[in-house]
Amino acid sequence: MTQLKAISEKLGIENPWVDKGGVQWLEPGTVSLRELARAMNELQARFITITAYQLPKVEGLKLEYHWDMNGQLLGFPFKLAGNSIESIYDLCEAVDWIEREIHEEYSIDFSGREYEPLLLRQGDTSGVNLREEVAK
Amino acid sequence: MSYKIPMGPYHPALEEPYKLDLICTGETVTDAKLHIGFNFRGIEHLAETRNYIQVIALMERVCGICSNIHTLTLCQAMEGLTALTPPPRAQYIRVVMAELERLHSHVLWAGIAAKLMGFKTMFMTCFELREKVMDILQAISGNRVNYSMNRVGGVNRDIDDPQAVLKMIDALEAEMLRTVIPIFTTSSTARSRCAGIGVLTHAKAISCGVVGPVARASGVGQDIRKAAPYAAYGEMEFDVPVQPDGDVKARLLVRALEIMESCKILRQALSKLPPGELFVGDGKFDFTKMVTTTSTSRVEAPRGEVMYSVSWKEGSRNPARVHVRTPTFAVMPAIRWMVLGARLADTPLIQASIDPCYSCTDR
Repeated sequence: MTQLKAISEKLGIENPWVDKGGVQWLEPGTVSLRELARAMNELQARFITITAYQLPKVEGLKLEYHWDMNGQLLGFPFKLAGNSIESIYDLCEAVDWIEREIHEEYSIDFSGREYEPLLLRQGDTSGVNLREEVAK
Repeated sequence: MSYKIPMGPYHPALEEPYKLDLICTGETVTDAKLHIGFNFRGIEHLAETRNYIQVIALMERVCGICSNIHTLTLCQAMEGLTALTPPPRAQYIRVVMAELERLHSHVLWAGIAAKLMGFKTMFMTCFELREKVMDILQAISGNRVNYSMNRVGGVNRDIDDPQAVLKMIDALEAEMLRTVIPIFTTSSTARSRCAGIGVLTHAKAISCGVVGPVARASGVGQDIRKAAPYAAYGEMEFDVPVQPDGDVKARLLVRALEIMESCKILRQALSKLPPGELFVGDGKFDFTKMVTTTSTSRVEAPRGEVMYSVSWKEGSRNPARVHVRTPTFAVMPAIRWMVLGARLADTPLIQASIDPCYSCTDR
């Protein structure tokens, strides 16, 4: 619990950690993604992945950022206002491929970086995983 | 003058298609670009169109080497959705299957590495050893690639003859100690092809977020089996081999030592195999009684940490989302740093030294 408390204090977040589905979740509130990435670097947390979600109907898109700290899986959800969010590639080299993959699968634009095709080929249309309603 | 040499997507050094564009000055690699996606099957998207039971069979096909690990991680995530805890015997059988899979994967890789070193005799020795593990996997599950062992709440099949597994472990361990490890560590062929080649520094390993044996060969001692134990790993005693050099030799050594640790784990798991049921529940997945909306599970695959996130959709038989983060996806970008300054002739072995799985990466 001390470790989680240290992260909250570092980020200046008063929201409680929620232990759910194998992850310790923290709502970042007003903390920006880049502030979070900087704090994770300082705390020597290991970046794992970003999970992208297309929310039902017209609710938009959500990204969940995951880091590991001493075997504890941390999760930070970010709901996107449109289809764009700041890239943290310059702060965290390990996000390179997953940002590129999410761009191709969900047409999310990670601003502040350039990217080449990853899973798709040059000229292919991005957003291959976007759907209307698949699971009926 | 620099020039570009494409390696792949189809090349004798590659087990599966991907492409490495090598920028060279003379014989020295000065930069490299990786191109993946040749095996992109859209499996995560496809998972949203299958029900919870069908998804298990689908995800088993993400990888042809560590198929069991994918169903194990997925089933653990789905058990998290419904708060199911598999019975102790199932947890032990999961450990046995995971370690047998690690054995055959590591021995397979040792064989491929030997072939790329120009060491064909060792290639044949390793594949003969691997065959013994495959025979045991077939005897347990009836299958050699997709074992269909995991289900939500436990496992599908029992281990009827633990003695046969123990006998195989004895034979494999003896051969590893008698030939494979001594030859890989002392022969001049292996030394000249591996020592000081394809170095990934400790700092770069951390900044790239690499996992598994590649991380451990660069001095990063992370292993999910120890850091966040799952199945029955919390009850097993084993060491996590770590090497500081970050070169191909260190990766070779880490995997060789991991084979010995796997043998140790297998002996413990088989000798302590508790009696009881193989699974809980009636074999049906009750998608109306979820305790959380998203569940995540992590497992230490032969190539490193695998992570699955599974989300449910109210009233639907299908998951809303299945996200897979495979180990090679985390490790492959580091190839670029490993080949910098290397001789062109060493690049096939360097890229192979991460034990890449392109099908996993592309999904």
